[in-house]
Parts: sequence; structure tokens; C-alpha cells
Amino acid sequence: MKIMLNDAPYEFTGKTLEDLVIELDKSQQGIAIALNQQVIPKSLWCSTGLDEQSLVFIFESIAGG
Amino acid sequence: MPSLLIAGHEFQSRLFTGTGKYASANAMMDSITASESELVTLSLRRMDLKHQTDNILQPLQKKGIKLLPNTSGARTAKEAIFAAELAREALETNWVKLEIHPDPRYLMPDGMETLLAAEALIKKGFVVMPYVHADPVLCKRLEEIGCQCVMPLGSPIGSNMGLASRPFLEIIIEQSRVPVIVDAGIGAPSDAALAMEIGADAVLVNTAMAAANQPSKMANAFRLAVEAGRMAYESGLGERRIQAQATSPLTDFIGALS
Repeated sequence: MKIMLNDAPYEFTGKTLEDLVIELDKSQQGIAIALNQQVIPKSLWCSTGLDEQSLVFIFESIAGG
Repeated sequence: MPSLLIAGHEFQSRLFTGTGKYASANAMMDSITASESELVTLSLRRMDLKHQTDNILQPLQKKGIKLLPNTSGARTAKEAIFAAELAREALETNWVKLEIHPDPRYLMPDGMETLLAAEALIKKGFVVMPYVHADPVLCKRLEEIGCQCVMPLGSPIGSNMGLASRPFLEIIIEQSRVPVIVDAGIGAPSDAALAMEIGADAVLVNTAMAAANQPSKMANAFRLAVEAGRMAYESGLGERRIQAQATSPLTDFIGALS
């Protein structure tokens, strides 16, 4: 399915937010996800399904003042 | 030296540091180690999906340093609340440095949006550390709604202009019942020492350390300055006056020779 990920179309083969993070090969440490403008707690990533309408933003912590 | 308490968390060091603007993650860690800082700020951004970024979290967590995410990039209360909620998930902390600056040129904090966001975030269970102008009225209002400290600016972020707001910082410090952390604009260890001498509870320094030719040496200089300033404040500084006051007894023993 095609979802929107960080403002760009993204072809996704999995089902849940957790599948997406694994597919992107990113560390789960220091990141946060918003689905359709709602922040989704890490504990719910495995049970949160995605569909063609999903607007996903993934954020990471970086250096800053 | 008595320790600093914020929201039940005890800090031995009164020097907080930012993690931005370092040439490398190693330079940042060396500098933070030299500063002996126990709290560092971090930011959030949309993940770069194409590149791997330096993992700065692990070395910081390994050292047991408290992480304080900021809401930098937020231009409104609504954006700041969203950023704080993301940060809480990303860094597993309910502490947040609330900063809202709509204007990228001067990065002046928006007091009205900050007050609105602080109120909402406190209701959601956050420990809110608001970055604000050195505005005594606003700082009092933030204290009254439940902020655990206030973070008034010395001068614009990254400007190295020191304590341009000094008279107002002194009012804030005199009135405040929560810790006052002077943030932004501290360009030299002497600025940090001055902030501590006038009674600030802590300072937050980033640019002055990160942009130095030798960041860890500068971090050490800041550590010493903050300790010296605090010690001087606790010892009780003398009053300033125009007239001289002799330190040696003024006797007329020389006159007696003529």
C-alpha cells in the first residue's frame, strides 16, 4: 500500500507502525511517531494498523540547545 | 555547595548545557564531560530517512545525564504542545524545555503562546521549563500556573551578548519562588559567573562552548565560572558604593614623621 511518510509517498509492504519502523531499519530509541496528527505511544505501534489514507510522520531526537 | 532541586530532581552541577552546534558527537561528549553538567537539552526533527544520524543518546544515557527535550521549531502553543508530546515519547521523559519563537531572525520567545502552552502541558503532567524573555511579570505568571522553574534569556540565542537583561533578571531572581535558570546569550565564563553572582540558580550554555576552538577546555572554564559565581553569591557579596572605604586603618603615622 502507498502511505504518506514525512510528506512523501511511500510504498509499504507491512501492516503496522512497528512493521514500518523495522522496514526502515531505524533504531526505536529516541524516535516518535505521529499518525494522522496524533502521537502514537511506542506501546501501541505493534497494534496500530496503517492504510492508504495514513499520514505518518516519524521524528528523531537530535542535538540542540 | 547546596544542590539545586527541580521537580524533586537533585542537581549537583548548576551548569546546564545544550548539545547543538558541535563539530562531532565526540566533541560534544568531551565537552559535556568536562562541564560536569547533569542536564543537557536535545531537539526533535522529522527523521532523515535517507541518512543515518550520529547516535548521541546512548553516550549521554550511559553517563546518566538527564535529557531535556526542547520544543524548538514550534511557532505557536499548539505546535509546542505537539512537539512536547512527541518528545515525551521519543525520550521517555515528561520534562520539557518549552520554547516558542515565531521569528527566525531574533528567535524572541513568544510570551503569550508560552503561557498558553505551559498551562496545557502542566495539565497533561509535564514538568515545564519555559524559555522566556527576562519579563518579571510573565515569569511570575508562569510560576503561579505551576512551572517548576523559569528560564529567562540573558540576550538573544547564540548572540554571545551576555546579560543584556541584567536589571530584569535581578527582579525575576528576587521575586521567584522557583529556580531561575539564565538561558541564552551567555557568551563567556564571566557572563555565567555574573549570572550566578546575582543569584541565578543555574545557567544554560551551548553556543559559547560548542563554537569554541577547544570546546572541552571552554566547558571546563564555564564549570569553574559557575562554581565561583555560586560560591560568591552564597558567601555574600559586598555592597557597591561610589565612595572609597579604607581597607587599612587611616592613621596619621606618616604625618608624624614630617
